[in-house]
Amino acid sequence: MIAENLIVDRGVSAGDSWITVAGESAHEALSGLKEAGYQLLVFLTCVDHLADSSRHGGGAPRYELVYQLRNMDTLEQLRVRAFVDGDPPHVESVSDLFPPANWDERETYDMFGIVFENHPDLTRILMPDDWVGHPLRRDYPVGGEVVEFSEEHETWQTAPDKA
Amino acid sequence: MADGPGQGVTDTDTTVIGQGVTVTRTGETGAFGGELLTINFGPHHPSTHGVLRLIVDLDGEQVKRIKPVIGYLHTGIEKQAEALRWQQAVVVTDRHDYLSPPINNLAYALAVERLMGVDVPPRAKVLRVIMSELTRLASHLVWLGTSGIELGASTMLMYCFRERDSILDMNEEISGYRMHTSYIRPGGVMADATPRFLDMLDKFIGVMPGHVDEYEDLLTMNPIWRSRTMGIGRLPAQDAKVLGASGPMLRGSGVAWDLRKQMPYSGYEDYEFEVATSDLCDCYGRYLVRIKEMRESVKILRQALDRLPDGPVNVDDRKMLPPPREELETSMEAVIHHFKLFTEGYSVPPGDVYQAVESGRGENGCYVVSDGTHKPRRVKFRAASFVNLQPLERMAMNHMIADMVAIIGTADTVLGDVDR
Repeated sequence: MIAENLIVDRGVSAGDSWITVAGESAHEALSGLKEAGYQLLVFLTCVDHLADSSRHGGGAPRYELVYQLRNMDTLEQLRVRAFVDGDPPHVESVSDLFPPANWDERETYDMFGIVFENHPDLTRILMPDDWVGHPLRRDYPVGGEVVEFSEEHETWQTAPDKA
Repeated sequence: MADGPGQGVTDTDTTVIGQGVTVTRTGETGAFGGELLTINFGPHHPSTHGVLRLIVDLDGEQVKRIKPVIGYLHTGIEKQAEALRWQQAVVVTDRHDYLSPPINNLAYALAVERLMGVDVPPRAKVLRVIMSELTRLASHLVWLGTSGIELGASTMLMYCFRERDSILDMNEEISGYRMHTSYIRPGGVMADATPRFLDMLDKFIGVMPGHVDEYEDLLTMNPIWRSRTMGIGRLPAQDAKVLGASGPMLRGSGVAWDLRKQMPYSGYEDYEFEVATSDLCDCYGRYLVRIKEMRESVKILRQALDRLPDGPVNVDDRKMLPPPREELETSMEAVIHHFKLFTEGYSVPPGDVYQAVESGRGENGCYVVSDGTHKPRRVKFRAASFVNLQPLERMAMNHMIADMVAIIGTADTVLGDVDR
């Protein structure tokens, strides 16, 4: 396992064990866990906790990065959480440790606007390159999209500073 | 074994894409002294199984660089799931990997059930296994038919779609829908199996092994099929593990990893079946794995049909599932439950859970976060195709452009699953 001082919190949710680490030490913690046998990063994603009434205490960071790890020999699974804030939020890329993280991080950047430092090619992956906004953020409306090729579409897709 | 043609190229540059995983590229001038030619492969190329665009650098006919461009089929399924109530979000799970809807439903349903702490009745578990295995067969049949037609065996499509159609008939009989069944939902299944469905299933199990023999007669020893797939798109076991491949991609590289065996769900630990593997690590190996899996699926179906227990197919929880129609006429409480369920829905205790299931393509998981309200805070689909597409450059490097078709085909990606 990794050094205890990296772990901020730990617990079990519906049978899945998880630990929380600080955003700055996510790379260090994941690298330690990889050495400890968690060789597979199943997925990496983000949860936006904007106005989440189930969380106690204000001022908690808005974005939660989730790394699901698996040890394919012992079948153990571990979820690593890291809370980050900022505009845009920054976290170090783990694509050097786990190759599948490359596309997962691009997707998380595309959908949530999390900036992964030292990522080899941090560009949008699912949305068009000129898209404005990050669709999976909670303040991005569902159905707020204007019909493509309509008159409103052009102004809607223009960044506010260029409009 | 060599990585395909292109050996002996001296002007090379080796890129490490993961520990021990490298791709070797030639320099800007090709092996034969010519310049590299950059072409678009897709997004409307029929053999990309949807809308996959690859920017390919070619030296003559040899592939020297591949950059996949995805997102053409992005429909915001995860965003839509956040906007729907817990029981409504089942319909969007049908649509990301559109060749295996019940398996996607199962991942979502199991995740929600684990958060709520409910356990479905035994009959529902067996019906879920039956639908999962039928779907796996249908998905492999689509793969086999389309791969056959791409590599020059046109009749494969006719044979495979004949059997797939009888599976779709069974889907229609049990759920009313042929493709997007939404049959498996949190709390159980949509409806009980009809006697006609069980008859159809029994007949299907009887004839299917013979049909798999037919497919093998057409392809397994077919010299054209063998020369198009053997030694093509090699992915050694170590590389497959490092790159996170799952499903037949991983088993075709000789790693006996199947979530139904390793991390059983929905009662899979009670069935006897073998995990199909092949040590060939190439397109032909992945073909053999899928053929074997079809035979194993039929074995699981036979066991499931023989042991199908009697009893209810849904949990007896009026806060989660609507009351029977008859009760609405006599019970005020039933009317209130019905009204609450269809206006507000049910809420799920706060927490998060990840549930992985084995689909025809690999590990299709569902990560669900609840904030205690009647809608999910976050639903993330861990798509097997999204991860299985990433080793493409490793597999296709230095092969001929025509072999790309075989490599994309046997990776069996569904673009709806890649883009979600």
